[in-house]
Amino acid sequence: MRKIFRLGLLATIVGGTLGSGTLQASSQDLELTIMAPAGAGGGWDSASRSMQDAMMASGNAKSVQVVNVPGAGGTVGLAQFVGSADGNPNQLLVAGITLVGASISNQSPVDLTQVTPIARLTGDPLVIVVPKDSPIRSIDDLLATIKKDVATTIWVGGSAGGADHILAALVTKAAGADPSKINYVAYSGGGESLAAMLGGQATAGVSGYGEWEGQIKSGDLRALAISYPEPIEGIEARPLKAQGLDIELVNWRGIFAAPGVEGDDLDKLKSAVEKTVKSAEWKAILKARGWTDYYAPSDEFKAFIGSETERVKTILTSIGLAN
Amino acid sequence: MDIFSFLIDGFALAIQPANLVYAAIGVLIGTSVGVLPGIGPALTVALLLPVTFKLDPGGSIIMFAGIYYGGMYGGSTTAILLNTPGESASVVTALEGNKMARAGRGGPALATAAIGSFVAALIATAGLAILAPFLVKIAVKFGPWDYFGLMLIAFVTVSATFGSSPLRGLTSLAFGLWLGLMGLDQLTGQARLTFGVPELLDGVEVTTLAVGLFAIGEAFFVASRHLFKPEKPIPVKGSIWMTREDWKRSWKPWFRGTVIGFPIGALPAGGAEIPTFLSYTIERKLSRKPEEFGRGAIEGVAGPEAANNASAAGTLVPLLTLGLPTSATAAVMLAGFQQYNIQPGPLLFTQHADLVWGLVASLFIANVMLLVLNLPLVGMWVKLLKIPLPWLYAGILVFASMGTIAANPSVTELLLLTGFGVVGFVMRRYDYPIAPAVVGLILGPLADSALRRSLQMSLGDPMILLQHPSSAIMIGIALVALVAPFVFRGLAKFRQDED
Amino acid sequence: MTQKTLRIPNRPTGVIAVVLFVIGFITYWDASHMKMRATYGMSASAASYFVAILFVALAIGHLISAFKPSDIEAENADWMAAGWIGLALAGLIGSIWLGGGFILGSTLLFALTARAFGRKALLVDLCLGAFIGVVVFLIFNKLLTLALPQGPIERLF
Repeated sequence: MRKIFRLGLLATIVGGTLGSGTLQASSQDLELTIMAPAGAGGGWDSASRSMQDAMMASGNAKSVQVVNVPGAGGTVGLAQFVGSADGNPNQLLVAGITLVGASISNQSPVDLTQVTPIARLTGDPLVIVVPKDSPIRSIDDLLATIKKDVATTIWVGGSAGGADHILAALVTKAAGADPSKINYVAYSGGGESLAAMLGGQATAGVSGYGEWEGQIKSGDLRALAISYPEPIEGIEARPLKAQGLDIELVNWRGIFAAPGVEGDDLDKLKSAVEKTVKSAEWKAILKARGWTDYYAPSDEFKAFIGSETERVKTILTSIGLAN
Repeated sequence: MDIFSFLIDGFALAIQPANLVYAAIGVLIGTSVGVLPGIGPALTVALLLPVTFKLDPGGSIIMFAGIYYGGMYGGSTTAILLNTPGESASVVTALEGNKMARAGRGGPALATAAIGSFVAALIATAGLAILAPFLVKIAVKFGPWDYFGLMLIAFVTVSATFGSSPLRGLTSLAFGLWLGLMGLDQLTGQARLTFGVPELLDGVEVTTLAVGLFAIGEAFFVASRHLFKPEKPIPVKGSIWMTREDWKRSWKPWFRGTVIGFPIGALPAGGAEIPTFLSYTIERKLSRKPEEFGRGAIEGVAGPEAANNASAAGTLVPLLTLGLPTSATAAVMLAGFQQYNIQPGPLLFTQHADLVWGLVASLFIANVMLLVLNLPLVGMWVKLLKIPLPWLYAGILVFASMGTIAANPSVTELLLLTGFGVVGFVMRRYDYPIAPAVVGLILGPLADSALRRSLQMSLGDPMILLQHPSSAIMIGIALVALVAPFVFRGLAKFRQDED
Repeated sequence: MTQKTLRIPNRPTGVIAVVLFVIGFITYWDASHMKMRATYGMSASAASYFVAILFVALAIGHLISAFKPSDIEAENADWMAAGWIGLALAGLIGSIWLGGGFILGSTLLFALTARAFGRKALLVDLCLGAFIGVVVFLIFNKLLTLALPQGPIERLF
């Protein structure tokens, strides 16, 4: 009796560490921990907490906890996730395209191909803008300007090696200029780079569409194109693809399970996430936050991660941020 | 001017009894979460934002304003009482505030911080209503070269915190600059001084350094002297309220702090730290009792606290007029607006004028509420210092490390905190001033990226710094401020020789 | 020992001079190994070189003042007490590193720091520390949903 009690206690303690996966009958009993590899308040954190709310409100998990592990564009959190959650079916990770780039440019020993993709969740378009009194009126004008003198074409956007930088490099390359010669001035966030755009210190700027939406609508910035493959309702600027450039880049976020999670455990997570994403609660969150739905199920997402990693690596190498 | 009619409507909304209750609740929980170390105003608002969603939009904006001001005030409370600044903007407050608390004048220190914040917020909010459209036009014209000029001025003023020896002061500053190098360079993504440790790629947190040097270094130092020079239990001298003398010495710093804080806060990359340094320096220069600085001068609390709050109101200028979040707190506020379906930006004032002015009125109300609720609490806070020394310091260490753990639960961060504690101990023991190290960490990276952004935009031509009149003037001011003391000293000497 | 102190009147300053030299050298070495170059303007290494030179200059300044008589008298220090605080912090870090959790760590930190200030009632302090730890944990974890490091004690809640 005593021994059983002790075993039970041990199981509780171990269960707390490793999760009590084997004991679960249905997905409604899931007790999950989502790691946001960023500080509280940021993009991945709000995605994690939104997922937490939606999963619990839609009844697809019993309890969900969010843990923040900030550091180095998410690579610190990813390394910890790969190391400590291995095979644990109760641990999830929220991450996005920035982490793909950060893993490469920080020469991190881990990357997103080592974890188990569950679903791609959201994907926000980037936008390319010029100041309102700029002589550049179209994406073709911008390409011509770049071609004429790549050095004096000053780009502003988010951190070096991030999605904004990658898009600027892709456009520079498409203009026929050497992407390693791009004059990209990195700022810490959409706010500071927006000030540089409004102050007329730059030729062109890149940011998430949502961050600069107000200025675009008021006419203080002229949007030339968005990087989303298809037109988006409510956004006037047309996709690069529709303007003859074969460029698409989406600031996506997805959810992952630990390495080595497979079989029933994996199926349970997949179905819980899928049901959540299709729930009214999740739709309401997307609307409130202004996120664009970019759902893709596990298998499609897995292939996507592979191709995205390759693509980002090529671009970062071409601008000298990776070797 | 329909600004004022909107403002009156806003007040009519904010002053309803139910909304006053929401404001009071917001201030109370904001203060109580804000005093937790490591949780600055930004995180306080982020954590408590969901609480406000449950109310109607009017009530929730008001509660939100209360939480915001409560969180701001809570941060300076820990800086004054426990020497653990909750955010980088209260570092300067800790300098003199904690010295005052140690001398038994924690009550007046807290009071002057609270009233100074109130005055500053009041004036700055009024400034927001009147000057916002004008200020913002100047603010966006501020290029990297101008920021570099501003940083140079800030650097020169740091010498005010150097203490007795320029060599030791410069060493402390250099230590801060060195820590500022650590991490990924923002412009090129190059890692500096990270030695292959991924946790160092984000650089050193200002609060980790400040808490390590201030709180933990202090604990080491006091413990090491305990046998020989036992620290006396902290007395509460005289009234816990401000005396007539305190009022006389506080009111000018409040106004000066406001005048410095508001415009710099309105700059997209101005921040709240630089105005607090500038205000500290100016008060030190203007004080009739400069010898009290470093030992608990009330001007050194009144001015920087006012500057801090005024700059917080200043960040609302680009936020409301451009939708530009220029500080962590502003970014969280932006998220708050979006929850109320307000899209900040150039159209906000025209499309949602009622809500904007409702918010401004709420900020006023919350500000008054903060003063009304917290002044009586000053007496309670001061009693905290009556805890027996062993428990007081044990408590400070637990709180200090807890803040670090809450912000980033990593062993590396704790090791850094401990390491800074040891460095702080050595610095105290050999009479190195502490504040320049924190200043170096804050300003170093800012000056570095401002200079390099300028040179990147000019394709390497350094003349860009002088071609813009604004930056040329600021660089000139910095040069004059640097050279003038030497010239005056030389002149004085020259005159003496003549006599 | 006395002979050496005779030759360098201000030994701590001399030691600090050496430390500054070393930091300056490390910074220089780090900067000389940077690979990423800015295409336009200054590279990230420029600031590193600047700080390295500053450190060397300060080291020389310290060296000079090390040969002058000291202007500050270092006080006697109770190294035992400082050691207790070191141990207290080590207790916290160790507890979190080894998975002992936040509450255990804070308990150790609290009790050992109180010991550093001369309190002998270790058991009382341990209880008090544990109480504070539990309260803080509950506030952060339950009220604010900020996850603090978990160990066996935390999982009981």
